[in-house]
Amino acid sequence: MEKTYIELKVPSDVYYLESVRAFIGKLSETLKFPKKRIADIQLALDEICSNAVYHGSKCVTCGIQLRISVDPHALEIVVRDKGGKGPRDWLTPDKLAEIQAQRSPTGERGHGLYLIECLADVHTLQANAVGGTDVTAIFYRDGQTERG
Amino acid sequence: MNGTEFMTIRENADIKIIDVKTDLSSYAASDLRKVLEGLLSEKVNKVVVNFSEVNHINSTAVGTLVGIAKRLRQNDGDLKLCNLASTLTRTFNLIGASSVVEIYETEKSAIAAF
Repeated sequence: MEKTYIELKVPSDVYYLESVRAFIGKLSETLKFPKKRIADIQLALDEICSNAVYHGSKCVTCGIQLRISVDPHALEIVVRDKGGKGPRDWLTPDKLAEIQAQRSPTGERGHGLYLIECLADVHTLQANAVGGTDVTAIFYRDGQTERG
Repeated sequence: MNGTEFMTIRENADIKIIDVKTDLSSYAASDLRKVLEGLLSEKVNKVVVNFSEVNHINSTAVGTLVGIAKRLRQNDGDLKLCNLASTLTRTFNLIGASSVVEIYETEKSAIAAF
């Protein structure tokens, strides 16, 4: 099986994220991920896309792009946004580490990035050329262990 | 406060029981917040949320429940959750929110815990 790609563009509105979650759930099922791992993939993508809508979009029509690739070893998801209204100065390894260190289990916010880190086998954030962020999450198919 | 398209509210003595009838991603989480804040404004202080029809919860919804639980406790009440699927309990555990919000296997045990 060669590497295959699927691309989706979704409006920057959480209303549409249910459909995205359903899609990735069905794809993961087709790829024979275990049931609990499918829930992990769906939750990680929900968190990534919610962040892209809330923090990485200036308007609904800006949209977010998903590039999903599949090969025999992994399912890789890249979510690209075009940047929100706020500054992007948090997108450095030091600042990200600081944000994570400030996370409190008893807090109401700030758990999204932490969850993605827990659930994905690989997770990266990178500034992109259009002024936004590319978030990558990789889930290995080999072994397909359940995490956490 | 009445329920919404995704949530209905029942009563058991002075306890309000919310039946959530949808998965709790960011869209439905705002509905959950509205329902819970409606109950707070009516001075309700004992709430059980029944998750028997829920298959997914994200951090926005977990954060909402954590925040409401704290506010109910300030009013000498509490928020208790019941009938969570194992994947939902795992999300609470990963975040650490299960140390803040009490989770029960059944609605009966959640009500009895008040």
